[in-house]
Amino acid sequence: MAHYPEPVARLIEALQRLPGIGPKTAQRLTFFLLKRPAEEVRELSEALVAVKDRIVYCQTCFNVTDEDPCRICRDPGRDARLICVVEEPNDLLAMERTGEFRGRYHVLLGALSPLDGIGPEDLKVRELLARLDAGAGTAEVILATNPNVEGEATALYLAKLLRPLGVKVTRIARGLPVGGDLEYADQVTLSKALEGRREIS
Amino acid sequence: MQIGWIQLRDFRNYRTLSWSPSPKLNVLTGPNAQGKTNLLEALGFLLTGRSFRTSHLAEVPFWGTAAVAVTGELHRLDGTVTVRRALERLENGAWRSEGAGCSWARAVAFGWHDVEILNGVPALRRNFLDGVAARLYPSHRAALVRFRQILARRNSVLQRGGADAAAQLGPWDEQFAAVGMELVDRRRRATAALQTEISRIYPCLAGECHKIELSYRCSVGEAAEPAALFAALERHRREELRRGQTIVGPHRDDVLVELDGADARVFGSRGQQRLLALALRLAELLPITEATGTSPVLLLDDALSELDPSVRDNVLREIEAAEQVFLTTPEPLPVAAGGRWAIHAGGLAAA
Ligand SMILES: Nc1ncnc2c1ncn2[C@@H]1O[C@H](COP(=O)(O)OP(=O)(O)OP(=O)(O)O)[C@@H](O)[C@H]1O
Ligand SMILES: [Mg+2]
Ligand SMILES: [Zn+2]
Repeated sequence: MAHYPEPVARLIEALQRLPGIGPKTAQRLTFFLLKRPAEEVRELSEALVAVKDRIVYCQTCFNVTDEDPCRICRDPGRDARLICVVEEPNDLLAMERTGEFRGRYHVLLGALSPLDGIGPEDLKVRELLARLDAGAGTAEVILATNPNVEGEATALYLAKLLRPLGVKVTRIARGLPVGGDLEYADQVTLSKALEGRREIS
Repeated sequence: MQIGWIQLRDFRNYRTLSWSPSPKLNVLTGPNAQGKTNLLEALGFLLTGRSFRTSHLAEVPFWGTAAVAVTGELHRLDGTVTVRRALERLENGAWRSEGAGCSWARAVAFGWHDVEILNGVPALRRNFLDGVAARLYPSHRAALVRFRQILARRNSVLQRGGADAAAQLGPWDEQFAAVGMELVDRRRRATAALQTEISRIYPCLAGECHKIELSYRCSVGEAAEPAALFAALERHRREELRRGQTIVGPHRDDVLVELDGADARVFGSRGQQRLLALALRLAELLPITEATGTSPVLLLDDALSELDPSVRDNVLREIEAAEQVFLTTPEPLPVAAGGRWAIHAGGLAAA
């Protein structure tokens, strides 16, 4: 059997580790890149390194940012007593696009997922509790995890954890397509889900 | 409702077929292995987008073909709908059912393997009941999918065990109880709907008086609240952690079928079990008609074999209540009304 030259094999393997990319697609991308001008490929590789070098997680809300704390956490115009909890930075962006939410966020960087071995300690849960403890006078925590079973489990878990702290805990309404992702919900649906949130008891 | 016409391309052993069946009874005859069951499967696929015969869609395309198309026209009193469906091969090699259906289209299918509803394992009775519930209450299928996802994740927490397993189970238990009792509720309502009908139908088919009793056997007894299932999970916690699986819930429930006070699974004769299976399918007709506003299409595969001649006549009389019926038989039937069709090697001709 013929082998690819080492640099080609290395790139194919690296690409394959990306989510949603199988061996076939990784090969296709590699040979596509080989055909592009060197300039363009250099730009891509620099962009990859720059993300890692310049982008960090906000140490308050765990959104991705080029400055810590992030723009939202620094914005005095945003209501610090309202915290919207989402799974991923994408979900935060989806929520921002609705233009309805004027509070702050907390990004968990995942959801409870026993099949992937992801438990509470793998999420930014301790950090959320610390934020509430810090006495910022949080009035409401809105749980905006995805409407699939993992997101629902995460919301139920957090509700149980937060309620004893005397903070109001709400869950966004179920108008979202069940099993879908926040990220793909359209802006109107998402605004309605936010507006129709209910207190979890 | 009725299927006005249907067109097949590369469905099982049919390369192409274009057919306008009778709006009432259609008797399909022909020697073995010519495509009678395949045609019923295609009619069901047109109506529901699934196969009543297999969950492996890859079996359906004509050997070696890359696409299947099933198109047809459905009629009911207030209108006509054209349905286009297809099976397509995805990049990863799996097959996917494509195309939108019609909200009131329903098929009730009976095949010889249905006797297993009576004499098989509990999972087959649960599947049967979930099928009925999904035809009556369309949200049942999505809830079933969700329930299976929750169950798999809950089992995974149980298998991993560890000191904090009990704490980690909390959010899964809550969802399990909520969705689980939602399933139980619809299954109970489906059972009640079948009970009323089968009490009438079975004696009609058998030609003599019998008492049929269906009871849904639930792991939380008669309770209807999610709290009851939640409490049952807590009671079984230790054993579940030891076994690494969920031992209470709707995935363990069963339906008891009693014929004159005796468990039909244990005491029914083979003929009785077969007739009960047929009666259970026919018992769906009226509840579905009430739920959707139109009578479902009845697909009966070899439903008359192994039955006494007088019972056969009773079956033929009973199915007159349905609107459109497709009935396969290996040998011609002495029926006057309706269409008679001969099936030969993936082709069809009026007989
Ligand atoms: N995907 C497929 N492509 C082509 N032929 C198929 C395919 N699947 C099944 N067949 C063929 O279809 C035939 C079976 O058809 P079917 O089950 O409809 O028979 P039948 O007329 O109902 O017979 P019986 O009276 O024995 O029940 C078999 O000969 C089988 O090889
Ligand atoms: Mg057959
Ligand atoms: Zn921040």
